[in-house]
Amino acid sequence: MEETILKRWSRELTIAGAIVLFLLPLIGIPGKTYMTLTIAGLAMGMLLFLVASGVSIIFGLMDVLNFAHGALFAWGAYVGFTVFGYLMKWVEADSVLQNFAAFSLAIVAAMVVVSLVGIVLEKVIVRRVYGSHLFQILITFGATIVLVELIRVFWGPNDEVMTVPLTFSKSWDIMDIIINRYRVICIAVGLVVYGVIQLILKKTKLGTIVRAGVEDRDMVQAMGHNIFLLFTGVFAAGAALAALGGLTMSLFSLQVYPDMGGTYLLFAFIVVIIGGLGSVTGSLVGALIVGLTYNYVAYLVPWAAAGANIMIMIIILLIRPTGLFPVGK
Amino acid sequence: MAEATPVQIFHMEEKRRQYRSGGFFLKVGLLALFVLVPFLFPSFKTVDLAMQIIIFATLVASFDILLGYTGILSFGHGMFFGIGAYCVAFLVGKYGTPSYANLALGFVIAALVASVLALVISFLSLRVKAIFFAMITLALAELAIVLATKLSGFTGGEDGISLNMPGVLAVSFNAGNFLGLEITGRILTYYFILLACLGLFLAMLRFTHSPLGRVLQAIRDNVERAEALGYKTFVFQAISITFGCVVAALVGGLYGMWVGYVNPESCLGVLSIMLAILLMCIIGGMGTLYGGIVGAAFFMITETFLPDLQHLAKDFFPSAVLLHNVLERWHLVLGVLFILVVIFFPKGIIGSVREFIDRRK
Repeated sequence: MEETILKRWSRELTIAGAIVLFLLPLIGIPGKTYMTLTIAGLAMGMLLFLVASGVSIIFGLMDVLNFAHGALFAWGAYVGFTVFGYLMKWVEADSVLQNFAAFSLAIVAAMVVVSLVGIVLEKVIVRRVYGSHLFQILITFGATIVLVELIRVFWGPNDEVMTVPLTFSKSWDIMDIIINRYRVICIAVGLVVYGVIQLILKKTKLGTIVRAGVEDRDMVQAMGHNIFLLFTGVFAAGAALAALGGLTMSLFSLQVYPDMGGTYLLFAFIVVIIGGLGSVTGSLVGALIVGLTYNYVAYLVPWAAAGANIMIMIIILLIRPTGLFPVGK
Repeated sequence: MAEATPVQIFHMEEKRRQYRSGGFFLKVGLLALFVLVPFLFPSFKTVDLAMQIIIFATLVASFDILLGYTGILSFGHGMFFGIGAYCVAFLVGKYGTPSYANLALGFVIAALVASVLALVISFLSLRVKAIFFAMITLALAELAIVLATKLSGFTGGEDGISLNMPGVLAVSFNAGNFLGLEITGRILTYYFILLACLGLFLAMLRFTHSPLGRVLQAIRDNVERAEALGYKTFVFQAISITFGCVVAALVGGLYGMWVGYVNPESCLGVLSIMLAILLMCIIGGMGTLYGGIVGAAFFMITETFLPDLQHLAKDFFPSAVLLHNVLERWHLVLGVLFILVVIFFPKGIIGSVREFIDRRK
């Protein structure tokens, strides 16, 4: 009896839980700091969404758990770093237009290069292990070793400082609440990407085919669509999302280093487990939860920041083993 | 007498062949080699290398119980290894005096902590999908490193903990000369660990060849069929995971004894320890247990002699730029090798050799 009630009200309960979680830190944090932390948390959440959505989409359609996502993420950051290096004049200029030009060029370059890497990865390696989760994880893990080592070959093994475009690094001051501009840009980028993904999946013919592929792969193939081409495309799109996430995240944390993918891949896994593997909306919600908790806890109890998200993940796993927005298979 | 079942006939055949096959003598010879290493090559480097191979071979075998026999990939095996090392280090290093009782207690606590943690993780992750296990163990392994580093009052932080061995295992112990070898505490520790690893290895062999082990293989090969036959797959998987993790923790304790020093990087590191275990297991061959020995030997020997090889290459072939680059980027080579092995020889060295021998028969 109790279980059915839990099931019937599960969505409302989750929403209520989320609101409580969202407001709970108000007890321990002064209002202005709370606002700053919330914006930082939302920005971080949006960036995590960019990483996690790639993992989630690739798993949802292709049934492939891509451990190489972290390496692709790092590649995106490094490609962006190189582009910024060439466009240093624009990056350091005190002009919004030039800053934006450099930022967009870096994003385009990172996404193009990394989706090419993703296509190669899918065609050469991942295609051979469809159907076996174990071998997918192993082989993409092997790809991670190679890709990270290639970063060391091309860009050197050291940490590099990422320069944020000048006008992005300034802050707005609204009623004594200090808002970093770049964080607002992060939130905007995240929302735009979420909108674009939803638009493509829900409103275009391609999206319909992809969603049908998630439901029943064989049937889509029987209808005359080349599912392998579709898979390569989805993998490339996931890689491009990883690159976008990597570039924006490196501007957020102000550095790039070869092993950076591992740390954020972990966050991405926590996000998709919380949100439900395969669901884009789930990734967004999960990412916001993770980003907000991380910032609140890091302010309240600094040493517990890394553990708090894992605790949330464990609690969610206990209550809803398939995540907040499960995708039926 | 009732007629023998096919399984019994198979067992009898196996037993009859056991002492005649070349494999048996190879195993005995290998063991004899490890026993004789301190006498044949008494230098510190070779004894240390042999010990590392033994320890990692056992560790990889315990990982193989999860990966090869249960079909579950864990990224937390290094964490269990580290937990074992830390438990022993707490008892004989930081919070206790070096005595035999404390040493034994350290291993008991290591086994207990590992079994509880392994059960909790299996309960959390196996309910949904087996792949959740990989993701959750990865997260927990990272958390373990963070905790070991941040809670420096408890764990010694980045600096780690030094271990002191009791009685005859202490570094200062010396029992005089035997057949031209100084019997020091270090040599005795070597034999103690060799014996312990042999015991653990035999226990794992027994485990995989027991009826339980066969059920596990059935689950690995086809979960639905095993379920349809009435096996509670979750229980079997949990037992196997717990067993593998407990062995890993015990091996971790042994490693701590040998190295005499425990810190987050060397014992818990996902990238250092876990990567090594995975490479050894895949290259050696999963689902064989013995693959661990081959993989560990290959990995440890190349790792130890790689700097020498680099110097040699520079001295003798100064113009071979490609060779230098390959040796400089050893991890890249390992990564490519790993992918190639997974694609073309998913059974690893041991499995492929076995297949080759079977085909020739």
